[in-house]
Amino acid sequence: MLSPKKVKHRKVMKGRLTGAAHRGSSISFGEFALKAVGCGQMTSQQIEAARIAINRKIKRTGQMWIRVFPDKPLTKKPAETRMGKGKGSPELWVAQIKPGRILYELSGVDEVLAKEALRLAANKLPFPTKVIYVGATL
Amino acid sequence: MLQIDMTAQVRTKFGKGASRTMRRAGQTPAVIYGQKNDPLTLTCNTKDLTKGLLSIHRRNAIINLVVDEGGKSSTRHVITKEIQTDPVNDSLVHADFFEISLDDNMVFSVPLKYVGKAKGVDMGGDMLISLNKVTLRGKALDIPDFIEVNVASLGLGAEIACKDLAVPGNVALVGDVDRVCVGVSGAVEA
Repeated sequence: MLSPKKVKHRKVMKGRLTGAAHRGSSISFGEFALKAVGCGQMTSQQIEAARIAINRKIKRTGQMWIRVFPDKPLTKKPAETRMGKGKGSPELWVAQIKPGRILYELSGVDEVLAKEALRLAANKLPFPTKVIYVGATL
Repeated sequence: MLQIDMTAQVRTKFGKGASRTMRRAGQTPAVIYGQKNDPLTLTCNTKDLTKGLLSIHRRNAIINLVVDEGGKSSTRHVITKEIQTDPVNDSLVHADFFEISLDDNMVFSVPLKYVGKAKGVDMGGDMLISLNKVTLRGKALDIPDFIEVNVASLGLGAEIACKDLAVPGNVALVGDVDRVCVGVSGAVEA
């Protein structure tokens, strides 16, 4: 699964997601893309699950690009632990997704197959998405 | 080069509030600027503008923009400089048009279209495409939409460089003319 090779800080603050994604909001490589319409966090497991869903549908024909990377560590406290005693240990990596962000791109597959593959990928994600394609979006 | 016609009206209201009102009314704010004339703020019908821009999407095109300047209309030749869209719903927010002169030389990036199957590929070689676009200088109307490159004659170890491309006579290549566009690498013997 995707994770950074090394980080400057092991634990980071929670932060807030506001506004829309202006960077990474247009198709750059492929013909079809999955775009986030809502905001949320995409864990490395979800990124991998969606990737596998796309690959199984398109049967490794065409080409796929993953446009997000989980670069934010999330921490968790162990079960049955009293509050306090500092921040928990890093457990998982997430990518913070703002509305408008392109998540996956596809090329070299026909439209029906691409839309179905991206629909299956969207089912793995915790926020609403839509499928867009070159020629229908500016 | 591809040419399309569009219409626009001169805009007298400026700013965020006026632009938002305009967008709600189905109009998109735009601006036209260039080297010879003063900048002009415009409004375009969003539906027509979107349709027109989608028809030339990712291609070089000249837009013959008929500008209605309060009664009298004038035609300006423009290219799109920047198209701003909403990141979530992909609707048009603003358009920048750059006015050009059809008599001046300009630089354009033109795609290469590879056709045919290389001889060398049948002999076990691999076709390697190094360039998908070339830069051309010339008058806007002389610039081709794309340059077709026939690779059928490419044998093992053969290459096609930029200087071998079929470029129209009144258009010049910009950059390194010896740069390889496509080649067939020889099969490795075991």
